[in-house]
Amino acid sequence: MKRYFTVSSALGVWTGAVIVFLFTPIAFLVAMSFNDYKSIFKWTHFSTRWWGHMMQNTSLTSSVRVSLEVAFVSTALALILGTFAGLALAKRPGKWTAGFVGIILLILVTPEIVDGAGQLSWFVLLGGPFRTGLTPIVLVHTVFSSAVVTLIVRARVAGLDERLEEAAADLFATPRRAFFEVTLPLVMPAVLAGGMLAFTLSLDNVVSTSFVSPAGVTTFPNYVFGLSGGIIRPEVAAMATLFIASTLAAVGLVALALRRGGQSGTEIAATFTGN
Amino acid sequence: MSLNDESTHILISQQAAQRLAATINRRRFLAIGGGVAAAAALAACGGSSGGSGSKSKNINMFTWAEYDDPDLLKSWGNISLTIFNSNEEAIQKLVQGGGSSGFDMVVPTGAYIPQLVKSGLLAELDKTKIPNFSNLDSHYTNQSWDPDNKHSVCKNWGTTGWIYDTTVVKTEIKTWADFIKVAQTEASGKTSVIDATPDLCGIYFWANGIDWTTEKTEDLDACEKFLVNELASHIKAFDSYPGVNLTSGSYALSQVFNGDARQGLLGIKAAGQDPARYKWGIGSPTTELWMDNWCILKGAKNVDASYDFINFILDPKNSVKDLNFHGYNTGIKGVSDLAGSIEFKDMVFFTDAQVATMKPGAVNSAQDRLVKIYSNVKAKAGG
Amino acid sequence: MTATLGTQPSQQRTWLRAPKFLLAIPSFVWYVFLFAVPVALVVVNSFGRKVAGTPGKVDLSSPSLDRYHEVISGSFRSLLKQTMFTSILGTVLCLVISLPVAYFLAFKVGPKAKTAVLALLMVPFFVNFLLRTLAWRIVLQPQGFVSNFLQSGHWFTFGLALRNGPIQILDTRAAVQLAIVYNYLPLMIFPLWVALDRVELHLREASKDLGANRLRTLLQVTLPLAGPGIVAGLILVFVPLSGDYVTAALLGGAKGNMIGAEVANQYFKAQDAASGSAIAVSLIISILLVLGVIAACFWLMARIRRRARAVQLVQR
Repeated sequence: MKRYFTVSSALGVWTGAVIVFLFTPIAFLVAMSFNDYKSIFKWTHFSTRWWGHMMQNTSLTSSVRVSLEVAFVSTALALILGTFAGLALAKRPGKWTAGFVGIILLILVTPEIVDGAGQLSWFVLLGGPFRTGLTPIVLVHTVFSSAVVTLIVRARVAGLDERLEEAAADLFATPRRAFFEVTLPLVMPAVLAGGMLAFTLSLDNVVSTSFVSPAGVTTFPNYVFGLSGGIIRPEVAAMATLFIASTLAAVGLVALALRRGGQSGTEIAATFTGN
Repeated sequence: MSLNDESTHILISQQAAQRLAATINRRRFLAIGGGVAAAAALAACGGSSGGSGSKSKNINMFTWAEYDDPDLLKSWGNISLTIFNSNEEAIQKLVQGGGSSGFDMVVPTGAYIPQLVKSGLLAELDKTKIPNFSNLDSHYTNQSWDPDNKHSVCKNWGTTGWIYDTTVVKTEIKTWADFIKVAQTEASGKTSVIDATPDLCGIYFWANGIDWTTEKTEDLDACEKFLVNELASHIKAFDSYPGVNLTSGSYALSQVFNGDARQGLLGIKAAGQDPARYKWGIGSPTTELWMDNWCILKGAKNVDASYDFINFILDPKNSVKDLNFHGYNTGIKGVSDLAGSIEFKDMVFFTDAQVATMKPGAVNSAQDRLVKIYSNVKAKAGG
Repeated sequence: MTATLGTQPSQQRTWLRAPKFLLAIPSFVWYVFLFAVPVALVVVNSFGRKVAGTPGKVDLSSPSLDRYHEVISGSFRSLLKQTMFTSILGTVLCLVISLPVAYFLAFKVGPKAKTAVLALLMVPFFVNFLLRTLAWRIVLQPQGFVSNFLQSGHWFTFGLALRNGPIQILDTRAAVQLAIVYNYLPLMIFPLWVALDRVELHLREASKDLGANRLRTLLQVTLPLAGPGIVAGLILVFVPLSGDYVTAALLGGAKGNMIGAEVANQYFKAQDAASGSAIAVSLIISILLVLGVIAACFWLMARIRRRARAVQLVQR
């Protein structure tokens, strides 16, 4: 019994160390937003001046706006595509399922750099709307994230009692009503978690964005990536801190929503990871 | 000035007025339309650089990182900056945008301007809209890559040299050959080179007395052989701005632009350390002279604003602020006197003898080969 | 209640059947248009050559394997090897670090604590990828806080006091290795945890009841049962990791370069989509080769183990 205790606590210590490891750079980044010096790579003394500067740097703020717009639109698209495809996969498996799941798995395991390179060549061939504005960025973001949403929704729906829907039909609900009042609420947790992931993936994307983004359109991470050769001011760290805070709030809200839907913490985490 | 244009339009054409109604706010349009136009026109004639109350001062600019004083830009108007990291990247994006890039201005290096012109990307400049053009020293106008400044106006120019940490590098570096020797020995694995094709290949050409605009196959072969086999493995990083991060102490020896090196030394001072630890030198026996330029793009939406901004920045008192920010000579007559006794002034302004050793680059038939060399060096350094 | 209703045949239920297949069609079209065609284009372009003087144009009039020849003969081959090595090592490190965490989560904590630990593990994953990678540059600065602290000889540094001056990890392959493990760790922990979580407790208990010690239970019952999850985790980490170039670009300097950076470089600097495509395809082929070799190893190991067990049984 005593030995059991030590193994278990060793594992606990290990897990704690991993958590500390995961938070280390984030803590440094947040701290550097309160640096007085003009670079995040050299601490001089405490100051909040860059938090004020942040809003005045129009290149920075407009890149954040681009990122948020792209994230919202691509998340909405990914949710529509992914929810429908996930429902179809779970409810009507057939000969086509294998091929479709195959494509999704291929999407998940193709290095982003290959997608990005191909999408660039393709969009250049197509021209027009594919080379201006936010369209190309939104389009490429939806590919990966809709695949993720599809899998999450499929996993959730596969675990549902199909008879609930049939009951609705038998009780003379119109197809529309059955969908909106029975199916949708049941897949909602998966949609929420999938949306959260799609949003994060969109905000994270650097590689394919850097390939397809038209001249003049820069997302927040690509703005920072462009700066990374030279000096990076603490205003970037301040913006990042703002993002981290919003992310925490959003994750918290989604988790709360799922919890009110009657899920345990473990189930919530499982939903997030697509299981 | 710009308001003047606007009100003239209104007086001239009903159609133009209707178009304007959509873009400026309603109340102001009514006021102007109600007969205040003449007064407004008079008021606008008062001062061209005052700028308050004129029409939207927005520019979308495609430029290098850390290249413009944000406060100075703000004192002119609203300029949104998008950053590129190499001329090649900028051209690629502009060409693929097919003239609908949404940018008004771009700041390319001189040697790349013919390619931009050939691709039909640059607007021809109307110099009557840039009265301050005459403030430029004639040394920095009418360059070989853009005769008569048809498409470009000098933003600033600079050169390439090195900076090293004397606590690590004991040998004094006087020439590019010394640079290579130190990079291979004392500073091996602690050397950074500029992350750009011409500058990387230039190290070899300058060190060996070869004209760095060479198109000869044997020169290019020798350059590739040397850089890949004998220099690549000693390189720690390809870093175009090693200066600004000098405080982080990552490199013992860096190939560096003069303005960036100066920024580094200023940073060292600001962080309370001794700048004497680092030594800067201009490339020798020959080195680069590069010039970055203000250009207006074809299809720009804010053409008048762009002219207004170029004229603004060519005003000596604005130019000197710009210079103080990036530390490169802006080529304006008398800007050296205006700058007064700024720190490390000899890193901004050079003697005639020094300038005589600096040669402009060229984008020619060797370009594709140079890029190949550059990628092979990078692959070798990592492999 | 639903059961009795549900089993009754109903005319109305046909609507449930028909449209749902159609629901996947938009996605299908989407993927063909935005994934299949572009990837096919990369493959096609890799047989062409650059049109001199025009950014990005590919001449396909005389298809050849010349670009591949350049990849294999040039400096790219060693870079490709290095990249694969970094990726394999990174994946193995991720697995080794994640296993105890996933095991702890699955078997050793109560439900309340589990939620908290899961949340803590998940939050960093939601922080912007680029920024948390860039942040390592702050942590690893040679003149930075951590470096100075390690040199200070403070008792807390566990006698790590560096005698050779500041830490010089930045702009090396070690920095890339560290950050890669950092970035992809969550992608390994979660699939592993889910896989272990599904191993039913009574099977583990049965193993113990039959006299197996803890290590044997772990190796012969728990891990084989969690096998598919582990494989999923390995693939989910290994593949994106091999193509990643942001981490290398931010932290690797010249030495930590990865092949993905060369793909980008060919597109952006050399304006040579043909060479870029050839390198990209070579990357995919390398990934498939590595996965193939690993799969073969697993298959062989399973075979040997089965054979060995059969021999054991016979001997008994």
